[in-house]
This record gives sequence, C-alpha cells and structure tokens, in this order.
Amino acid sequence: MSAVGTLKSWEAMMLALLVAIIAFNSVGSPYFLSVGNFVNLFQLSIEKSIVALTMALVIIGGEIDLSVASVMGLAACVMAWTFHAGVPMPAAILAALGAGILAGLNNAFWIARVGLPSLAVTLAGLIGYRGVARILLEDRAIGGFPDWFNTIGQQALIGPLTAAIAIFFVLFIFFAIVLHGSAFGRLVYVVGSNAQAARYSGVRVGLVKAALFVGSAFVAALAGILYAARLGSVRGDMAEGFELDVITAVLLGGVSIFGGKGNLVGVGLALLVILNLRNGMGLADITGNTQNYVIGGLLILSVLIPNMWQELTNKWRGRET
Amino acid sequence: MTRFLMGAAALAVLAALPQCALAQDAMATRGKAVSMVLLPKFLGILPFDQAHKGAEEAAKELQNPTPLQFLGPTPQNSVAGQIEIVTNATTQGVKAIMISNNSGDQIVPAAKAAQAKGIKVVTWDSPIPSSEGEDVFVAQVDFSEIGKVMADMTLDLAGPGGGKFAILSASPDAANQNAWIAAMKTALKDPKYAKLDLVDTVYGNDESEKSYTQAQALVDKYPDLKVIMSPTSVGIVAGAKALQDEKLCDKVKISGLGLPSEMLAYTKNGCAPEFALWSFIDLGYLAYYTTYLLAADALKAEEGAKFKAGRMGEYTITKDPTRAKGLRILMGPFTIYNKDNVEAAAK
Repeated sequence: MSAVGTLKSWEAMMLALLVAIIAFNSVGSPYFLSVGNFVNLFQLSIEKSIVALTMALVIIGGEIDLSVASVMGLAACVMAWTFHAGVPMPAAILAALGAGILAGLNNAFWIARVGLPSLAVTLAGLIGYRGVARILLEDRAIGGFPDWFNTIGQQALIGPLTAAIAIFFVLFIFFAIVLHGSAFGRLVYVVGSNAQAARYSGVRVGLVKAALFVGSAFVAALAGILYAARLGSVRGDMAEGFELDVITAVLLGGVSIFGGKGNLVGVGLALLVILNLRNGMGLADITGNTQNYVIGGLLILSVLIPNMWQELTNKWRGRET
Repeated sequence: MTRFLMGAAALAVLAALPQCALAQDAMATRGKAVSMVLLPKFLGILPFDQAHKGAEEAAKELQNPTPLQFLGPTPQNSVAGQIEIVTNATTQGVKAIMISNNSGDQIVPAAKAAQAKGIKVVTWDSPIPSSEGEDVFVAQVDFSEIGKVMADMTLDLAGPGGGKFAILSASPDAANQNAWIAAMKTALKDPKYAKLDLVDTVYGNDESEKSYTQAQALVDKYPDLKVIMSPTSVGIVAGAKALQDEKLCDKVKISGLGLPSEMLAYTKNGCAPEFALWSFIDLGYLAYYTTYLLAADALKAEEGAKFKAGRMGEYTITKDPTRAKGLRILMGPFTIYNKDNVEAAAK
C-alpha cells in the first residue's frame, strides 16, 4: 500500500469514527443536535484548534513546538499588563502579537541557527515564557477590557459564529493552501522527511524552520488574545497545559511525529472527532479523568494502528513474493 | 378517577400559588424536581467529597427526585474544565449550578450565559471575585473571625497563667495564612490575652517533613514553650507528630486548623486537645439548601432574605463585606474539635 493510500485510509477511518461519534451523541443526548451546542463545541476549544493548524505544519516539518501554550499565556499577559498600564487596547494587542513574534524568533534562533533540537529549545520556552507571564501578572487577574474586545470573544459575529471560529476557518483554508499548494509547503515536507538530504540539494533548511517557528508563535499569540477575549480576564496560568491537547489532535490527525507525513484534512477531522467526543461526554455528565482516559486511549490507538497495519501489510507482501 | 383528577387539579393550583408566604420554610417546597450540578474546584480531594456528601444529605431531605450531578475537572485542567462544565450544564438546561470557583473572573462569561438562560448560579467555598454572573455566595466562615478563634484556643491550652507560644504556618507568602495570622495579632491586643507571649513565627511550607523539623526546632529553642499554633492542616498534623515523637505532649500542646480525620489520634492522646475547622459537609449541605430554594423560586437572592436550612437553622442573605458587590450567606462559625466530637467528625 502506498503512502498516499495509507493516508487516505487514515482519513476514511477518522471520518467513520466521527460519523459514529456524532450518531452516538445524537441518540445519547437531546441537546447535542442544536446550532447553539455546535457553536459551543467549537468555541470551548477554539484556541487549541487554531494552534493545532500551525502545530501540524511544525510537526510535518520534522520539529515540535512545546512552547505554544506558554506563548498563548505570555501574549495574553503582555496584552493585559500593557492595557492595565494605560495603553489603548489596539496597541496592547499589537504588543502581545509582538511578544509572540519575539518568542518565535527566539525559538527559531536556537533551533535553526544554532542547531539545537526543538524539543529542548521549546521545552525551555514552555518554562521561560510562562515564567515571564507569571512575573508580569503575579497572582493578579486583570480584566475590565473594553466592551468591543469582550464582544469579539463572546458574541456571535457572523451568523451564529464567533470571531474566533471564523478566524479558525480562514486560517484553516490559508494553511491548507500554504501546505498543499505552495512551494513553501513542498519544502516543509522535504525538510520534514529528510533535512540532511534537503540541505544537500540546496534547500535553505534553516529558513524553512525559522518560518515555521515564528509562524507557530505568532498564531499562538493570536490564539492567546482570543482566549483572553473569550474569558474576559487574564491570569498568569492561562492556557497552561494546552500544548499536549494540541499535539494530541495533530497526531490523531495522522501527522507523523517523525515528520514529512500528514495533511490538514486529517488534522481537521481529528479536531472534529475530539471536540464531538468531549462534548458528547460532557453532555452525558462524564468529566475529568474519564474524558482524559478516552482521549488518551484514542491517541494510543492512533499510534498503534498505523504501525500494526504497516507490519501486517509487510507480512502479507512477504508471503506474496 | 374524576376525584383523582380533581385532586390533581387542586394540587396544581396549590403549586402555582405565590410562594412568598412559604418562603421561610424549606419543607414547604420539598419534592420539586430541580436538576442541580455541584461543581468543585477539581475532583479527588477530601474536602470536596465531604461537601458532596453534605449536598446529597440535603438532596435527600428535600426529596428532590432529580439526582444531583457532582461534576468536576482534573486539577491540571481546572479553569478550562470548570468553564466547559458550566457551558455544558447550560446547554442541558439544568436549573442550578453550585460552583467552588477556581477560575477567578474567567468564569464570568460562562456564568452569565447560564444566568441568561434562567439558571441559578450559586458559589460556595470560593466566590466569583467580581460577583458578576453569581446569585449569591455561600461562605464558610468570616476570615477575620479566625484570629479570635486562634487566640481563644491558645489561651485555652496555655491555661489562665498564659505563657509563650509560637506560630507554625504554611509558606511565608501564603495569602490565607498571612491574613489569619494578622487577624490573630489584632485579636491578641485585647487585654484578655495579655498573658500570651508570641515568641516566633516559623514556616513549614505546607510540607510534612519541613513542618515536622520546624516544630522540633521550636521546642528546642524555647524550652518553656506552651503552645504551637498552626493555621494549616499540613502543619498541625506534622507538628503534632513531632511533639508525640519527642514525648513532649505533657508540656507543649499544638492547635490550629486541621481535618478531624487526620487529627483524631493526636486529639485522643492529648497532643492536640483542640483545633478548629469549618465543616465541608455542612458547607455542601447549606449550599444545596440555598440553591434548591432559589431554583424552586422559594427564595430570592436579595439582601435581607431569610430562609431555614434544615438541621442548620436559619440564615440571612447579606451584602458581602469582603467584595465590592455581591451577596453572601455566612455559614460560620468554626467548629471547635476536641475529644468529645472529633471521633464523629472523623468518619
């Protein structure tokens, strides 16, 4: 079976799983099939979904960014702190996006320039950016943002959709074009499959990686601001631990943790699977650890099944020849 | 059959009557189906399980046919999890949500959305700081009162002659403990406590081992120390064990805030003859009563409203003096535990 074939069958499996979950939820809860619930289902994890898009690109590029949740927290805290210091909200938002870009440049420098492994660099970022966020806000919570800002986060903007949901769809299309329809996208796959070979064939690997990490941090900062708008107030521990949920969605979407494989359709389907599963369990009053077990189990299966499938097909071929 | 129908109609008319006259008596509204969610900060620690137990007790007394949902996030996912649970409960159209808020004001949009759908939002244990999106807060104790309770227990144990005592606290920057110690120092100015001499304040960082060695160091440093006052449930247990291991319980006593189940042995062997805490069972019980009456329209969340909460007696809704806005029901006072009541409470 070709790589393309495996991918297609992976998405088919996700789709089947999604249909099964939706069918199960519809039967299980009378509240599931309503526009309001579908909006909630997206809205409750929309920031993670947005960050999952760039995380997919980073992982396809053969790297990982563990610092995204801390960058979200950092951006939200920078925004709240500057706003609280008397700066107008639009400028505070720009400052937050700027902080995100700086964090991304910092990651990119150590990974693309110095050549350190992204696992180590972004782990340091996870701790460091969170530290800055906590130093800025200490134990305070900062709220009282302008009404228009909270409205962006909490009210429907286009039909029943909130701004964050609309941004997610726009970014989804944008990154799908970047990844699957642009020269840069092809380079991401090439670098992710074999960075060494790419380098020898003249690809500026460092530049590709730098672009990935700056893009990842910028989108994370944007997501952090949207999160602040949704909650209406900011604390130092905002978005703590989100990186694992984001990476879970990407891996479940069929993106290979070793890089070079995967696509955004799979990630989109995986997001839908997780969101519907969470929502269904929530409406069935299943919360906390049980939810984590189910989603963790799903991830383990998602890693196991392709490998077992590979092994099975290899054996099958071995018998044929 | 006709008689039955007429009876049913009469009952329906009775049920539809304005309930203001009955507002003070919870028993009058027993048996209504009110779907309620009890939402702790997170699942898996004893105090919240005790609150759940108390709420179930109230649910049984009020004969609510709809089972209570006890839903909570994991500690790592507390903020996002609480928001998700409130949002899903809103989708389900429950009648009331009882929150021990761990999300600061970040819970406000979700709580407001719940209220917009007619859901009663009651906080207990920990309120919404801005009080937006909240009907009323069921508070355990008045934190300023704790200073007096700590001073009283110290005097009790030191005896009428007074003497030296020291404080074994949590960490130097623990907001709760610092506020309580400050309240105790204020209380000590009363001439009643003139013979008490606070010689030292040490910190065990809420770690058992550190608290244990700090207690040992205290008794070494002050041979005539009479009482160690530990306003933290970790410090008081570790300190009691230190006194017991050093065989000093005849000379030095420990007191403070502790959980009866953890203090049982030390109260019975005389190392910690008395200590205080609020009962989380009672807190859950009172939160449930309050919320049920609000959701059944038998109580209005407004200043001065009175109601009777089963075995706990009568309560009044007042302005919350600890927040700029917001309403409060003060459970209080502390329960003082000693050899007479600790065993029952430890169960």
